[in-house]
Amino acid sequence: MKIFWAFARQHFHSTAIYRFDFWMRVSSIFILMYGTRWLWITLYSQRPGAFGVSLGQMVTYTVLSMAITNLFFTGPPYYMAGQVRSGAIDGDLLKPMDFHFHMLARSTGEMIFRIFTITIPGMLAGYFLFDLQLPASVQSGVMFVVAFLLGYLVNFHLEFLLGALSMVTLEIDNIDWAFHATTRFFSGQYVPLWFFPGLLGTLAAILPFRSIFFVPLSIYTGVMRGSAITQAILFQLFWAVILFIVSRWVWERVQLQIISQGG
Amino acid sequence: MIRVEHLTKVYQRVKRKEGVLGGLRTLFSTEYETTRAVDDISFHIDEGELVGYIGPNGAGKSTSIKMLCGILVPTSGHIEVNGLVPHKERMTNALQIGAVFGQKTQLWWDVPVIESLRLFRDMYKVPEAQFKHNLNLFNELLDLHEFQNTPVRQLSLGQRLRADLAGALLHNPRLLFLDEPMIGVDVVVKERMRTFIKEINHDRRVTILLTTHDMTDIEKVCSRIMIIDHGHIVYDGNIEKMRAQYGTQRTLVVEFEEEVPEFSVPHATLTRTEGKKKWFAFNRFETNPSTLITYVSTQYPILDLAVEEPEIEAIVRTIYQQLPASVEKAER
Amino acid sequence: MNGFQLYFRLIQISLLSRMQYRANFIAGILGLVFWNIINLGLIGVMVTQFTSLNHWTLWELVFLYCLWILCHSLYSLFFSQSTHMEDYLIEGTFDQFLLRPANLLIQVLGRELQYIEIADMLIGITGIGLAYIQLNLQWNAWLWSFFLVAVVSGAVIELSMNLLIACSAFWTGRSRGSFIIANQFYGLVHQYPIDIFGKVFRVFVTGFLPVAFMNYYPAVLLLGKQGQLGSAWPLSYMSPLVALLLVGVVLIVWTLALRRYSSSGS
Repeated sequence: MKIFWAFARQHFHSTAIYRFDFWMRVSSIFILMYGTRWLWITLYSQRPGAFGVSLGQMVTYTVLSMAITNLFFTGPPYYMAGQVRSGAIDGDLLKPMDFHFHMLARSTGEMIFRIFTITIPGMLAGYFLFDLQLPASVQSGVMFVVAFLLGYLVNFHLEFLLGALSMVTLEIDNIDWAFHATTRFFSGQYVPLWFFPGLLGTLAAILPFRSIFFVPLSIYTGVMRGSAITQAILFQLFWAVILFIVSRWVWERVQLQIISQGG
Repeated sequence: MIRVEHLTKVYQRVKRKEGVLGGLRTLFSTEYETTRAVDDISFHIDEGELVGYIGPNGAGKSTSIKMLCGILVPTSGHIEVNGLVPHKERMTNALQIGAVFGQKTQLWWDVPVIESLRLFRDMYKVPEAQFKHNLNLFNELLDLHEFQNTPVRQLSLGQRLRADLAGALLHNPRLLFLDEPMIGVDVVVKERMRTFIKEINHDRRVTILLTTHDMTDIEKVCSRIMIIDHGHIVYDGNIEKMRAQYGTQRTLVVEFEEEVPEFSVPHATLTRTEGKKKWFAFNRFETNPSTLITYVSTQYPILDLAVEEPEIEAIVRTIYQQLPASVEKAER
Repeated sequence: MNGFQLYFRLIQISLLSRMQYRANFIAGILGLVFWNIINLGLIGVMVTQFTSLNHWTLWELVFLYCLWILCHSLYSLFFSQSTHMEDYLIEGTFDQFLLRPANLLIQVLGRELQYIEIADMLIGITGIGLAYIQLNLQWNAWLWSFFLVAVVSGAVIELSMNLLIACSAFWTGRSRGSFIIANQFYGLVHQYPIDIFGKVFRVFVTGFLPVAFMNYYPAVLLLGKQGQLGSAWPLSYMSPLVALLLVGVVLIVWTLALRRYSSSGS
């Protein structure tokens, strides 16, 4: 647990770079929130109350999505690929720390840092400027946090697996692109999954990606209620555990390969 | 070749503000801080000279070189390279100069060296005959043929520096700037590059300005040395003169037949003992080797002797600290 | 060696450099295609459920999106390096350019050929082609020529905008942040017709960061949707003019930037 705070603190101290980074990210979020709010207002003006979701809920969904986007892509794949390419991976492997947890700690540290520096300001801006509503109920708010954390874990492990793959193939950009594109689509980041027709809808329901944005956001907005919440959380838990196990298994093998090839 | 008169470069930088909105406040600030990077310097360099140009970091070296290359516009003063004012005729000046930067290559990273050279040939309008002639020369003196088909990215440091030299000289420039060209290179390659530089200078009368932190390079290659500090030229002359003027301390190294205890010698200080050898430092103005030798030999039997000259590095350090030892001692 | 010759030699050497990494080439193209399919997919899902986006139907949206891509790919193929100005200044590459007896702007722009943009170009052409058929557009010679002019103008507009942003690095030392923000605007204008956004936004991307002229305004003309603009319909013809204007501005700013660089050396 201490490790997580250590990594987060590290970020708070390198203020110069991050100050700049901060303004850029926050400004970007503002623009995206603006854009997405207008988009959905326009769409909904044609079919108010579509799918049993109000305009307010819809706007809250996407504006909140923009605020939390940054929390997910904290970069393990790039870090991992970079370390192998530069040879610095040896330094990591020498440390008396499990690499998997090392990555998790790093990533979480970054995530915590961003909650305070980007997401909270973003949410405030969303609330005051872009019609972001408060959680549907106290229970929704609490379950949102739970669902977010689970979604974060699912995403982390997916990224970790990506990183492991890139360490073996020494190729990162294209894999990363493909992954992000898929996430964009099936996670409900931009378009909530209740819109997905037929086959796409079915696919979206079984893939792990919905854990990342769709589940937490649906809970927050109150679109998902009661037993649906329980089901969704179990779904997330299921994938989190599976991916965790797969990650460890894959990492064993990748580590072996790196060591035998001399990094 | 190079004429510099009362050259001055003054930078006016907006004072950077601290704090959360520092960046934004800096943008709207009107507070300036002035730096005189180069302050009224003047010198002439004739064609064919091989000049060492040294100075501590931030002394104004790169600023003055940038002005000679035409990259930077002077605040005041006159500067002329082979009859051209560099910043006014950037492209024409570019045709007559070449440069090698030790820290960063001028060649394209992922392609074979020879491809970069071919592009330079076209860019600098080098006639085919001259191109071939120079390639042969580089093959002979720099072993270019060993790595000319290798991408720069895969070259060792020594090879990359040699490739950069080839690139810089391909168009037969009249003036060559060498900025830390031998940094991090092993002694064997260093020696070859020094030889190459001297040969190019001698055979083609290429004027060379060498910037380096390695005093041995200067000692072995240059005939003249210019030292710049805080924007001023603090020394400009040949190396022997510098030694005579500032290098007042010489050392007499005596090897005795047996180990002898410490003893004092008038006008000299014992600085070091190692087994049978003793090092005596003395001021060239206070005494001379023969006097010392006579005295020492009366104390103990001598096996061998040598006189060491002051290291350039020590001299330069003295000059940097602006405490010319000779001035102090001479005034006593 | 004149400007064009120099440019082509530089591109040649950059291609040679790229060919060292052949595996990336194919993977890169696939990645790009996939990315665009996903984006269009998202738009498709939205529109299918709502039948139209402010009177823009699915195929009209595809047209809008692909028009942008076509302009962008044309620009990016040849000139994507313009966004790297900040790096050139920091790493000293710019000084190297100054040492060579060649035009500076060409050296900057000729640094690399982004071959991968061919993928975008194909997508753009395919998308427009499909939309043309689906919408049963029937352009006459005038509209066809306008289309071609609009594509070139769009590329010039993006080039100019990016160069202007890049040049800010000469004064502030940084351009990356501005690019990140500009890209947000590009993304919105690229995917959605700007008439769905508020007035402030529309004015911004028409008058200040005029990227709406890359796809929106020409699309309005080419799709016969002048109704969307109301009394502002002349704007739909103006992308070539905007392109020319921006070129003028860029040339002025570039000259100023160079002057600043050679007097302040940073």
